[in-house]
Amino acid sequence: MAYQAEISRKNPGCFLFLVDQSESMEDPFAGGDNGKKKAEELATILNKLLHNLCIRCAKSDSIYDYFHVGVLGYSDESCKPALGGELSGRSLVPISELAGKPLRIEERTKQSDDGAGGVMDQTVKFPVWFDPYWKGGTPMCAALKDATKLVETWCQEHPNGFPPIVINITDGEATDGDLVAEARKLTAVSGEDGSVLLFNIHLSSTAGPSIELPGNASKLPDQHAKALFEASSPLTPFMVARATELGLPAGENSRGFIFNAQPLHVIHFLDIGTRPANVRLR
Amino acid sequence: MNHATAANQCDIKVFCCPKSGNSVEEYEDAWAHRQTRTPAGLRVAVADGATESSFAKLWAVLLAESYVRTELAGAEFFARLQPARRLWRRRLAGRPLPWFASEKAGQGAFAAFLGLQIDAHTNRWTALAVGDCCLMQVDDVGTGMRVLTAFPLQESSQFTMSPYLIGSRSDGEPLHERIHISNGSLRDGDMLLLATDAVAAWLLKQHEAGRPLWKWLYRKLRTPESFAAMVAYGRTHGLRNDDFTLVRIIHHDSPVAAKER
Repeated sequence: MAYQAEISRKNPGCFLFLVDQSESMEDPFAGGDNGKKKAEELATILNKLLHNLCIRCAKSDSIYDYFHVGVLGYSDESCKPALGGELSGRSLVPISELAGKPLRIEERTKQSDDGAGGVMDQTVKFPVWFDPYWKGGTPMCAALKDATKLVETWCQEHPNGFPPIVINITDGEATDGDLVAEARKLTAVSGEDGSVLLFNIHLSSTAGPSIELPGNASKLPDQHAKALFEASSPLTPFMVARATELGLPAGENSRGFIFNAQPLHVIHFLDIGTRPANVRLR
Repeated sequence: MNHATAANQCDIKVFCCPKSGNSVEEYEDAWAHRQTRTPAGLRVAVADGATESSFAKLWAVLLAESYVRTELAGAEFFARLQPARRLWRRRLAGRPLPWFASEKAGQGAFAAFLGLQIDAHTNRWTALAVGDCCLMQVDDVGTGMRVLTAFPLQESSQFTMSPYLIGSRSDGEPLHERIHISNGSLRDGDMLLLATDAVAAWLLKQHEAGRPLWKWLYRKLRTPESFAAMVAYGRTHGLRNDDFTLVRIIHHDSPVAAKER
């Protein structure tokens, strides 16, 4: 049965993020109420996803390499690795290296449990790996092609591992071809444990209610959303169960597609061991 | 790892091993047992530190030790965990941690817990649980032996990867709906098994499939080597890779005496 491989340090999982950095990402994001640009929302989402992945893998005073992570940015007719600083030019890095090399670490204040039934202000580190950027066209097909090459190599090097998960964050307007056809080629790549999974996070300028993990495209507001839904992989049975546990409206036919919503639960769709039900996800 | 001690009323053996691929230092279950005077009998605990939490081994040890060192056998035990929580925080205080480790520690550690008290005069037991560590009581009747109790989960399908657990920083959290309490009586020859989730789920699954291991556990499980053989068999027959802890108690109707075997 597919998608059963255990994720461990010896047999890590792979998250590859594709991020839209085209000019249209400068437009306002319709899913929020604070006038953010889509590029700013994308940076917020990506930094939170990377942050939460690091926290998931943190173990006592170290961090376990349960995952390798990559970020490819696409804009201005090209696609290239988008992590900066010391990780500049790297396509995939172990999570421990990602955690140790953000662009910068900001300090923010949040309220937290004081351990004795009360609440206290706490200064927390907020690592930033990715800043907003936009320029030129939307070569999403080129990004899917580059992702296909990367996951082919990954699957050859990890033939028994859990298949890579590619998460594409975009406003959906590809300018270089048929994204559904390229997505099919990407998700045709497979290892012993199943095919590569492609999830799409759609940040739209079209207003409307957020939609998470739909089973069909009937409620999606435009052709861009429908194409991205079409390109998205169905969730595995474990993912449907985990999504349901996390309070998401997942069903048997749900696909890895999210419209104008924060996709932070997505990184919890892979199992790395017992997760306390009483830890709140941020 | 193996430890054996007993009053002449109960034969206790503890078997445990870390998740395959992990070192012994990375084993995050804990167990403890202690003979008691008031009431005369025995207290046993197992705790299972959650993989997705930090410093979970320390918290599991503190929970198990706290239980066997107190006389509380009911839900009030969980209301008296402040000293254990303080100790957990103190062990981390001042420790230089990178940002991710510090933030994860800030969430606290989490563990499943099962405590068992046996009253030697009445031959009755009381069990207390939060999470998915399980107690199974099996009698020595019939060729396959009979399961009298499985607590707090009764079937293998009830185990999940996200149980509700006890947190090292959760003083204010209402636990009462998550606390399970049960009790029962013991007859001569009864076997009690306290197990962390993966091994408990597997034993129940084998039982449900008509391939119970109770008799083997009763008669053949004696040494760390025999436990390792069972785990090796299990790993090719549906036993999930995890830390494993199994405490086996065989009860005999005879006066209590603090005698090491």
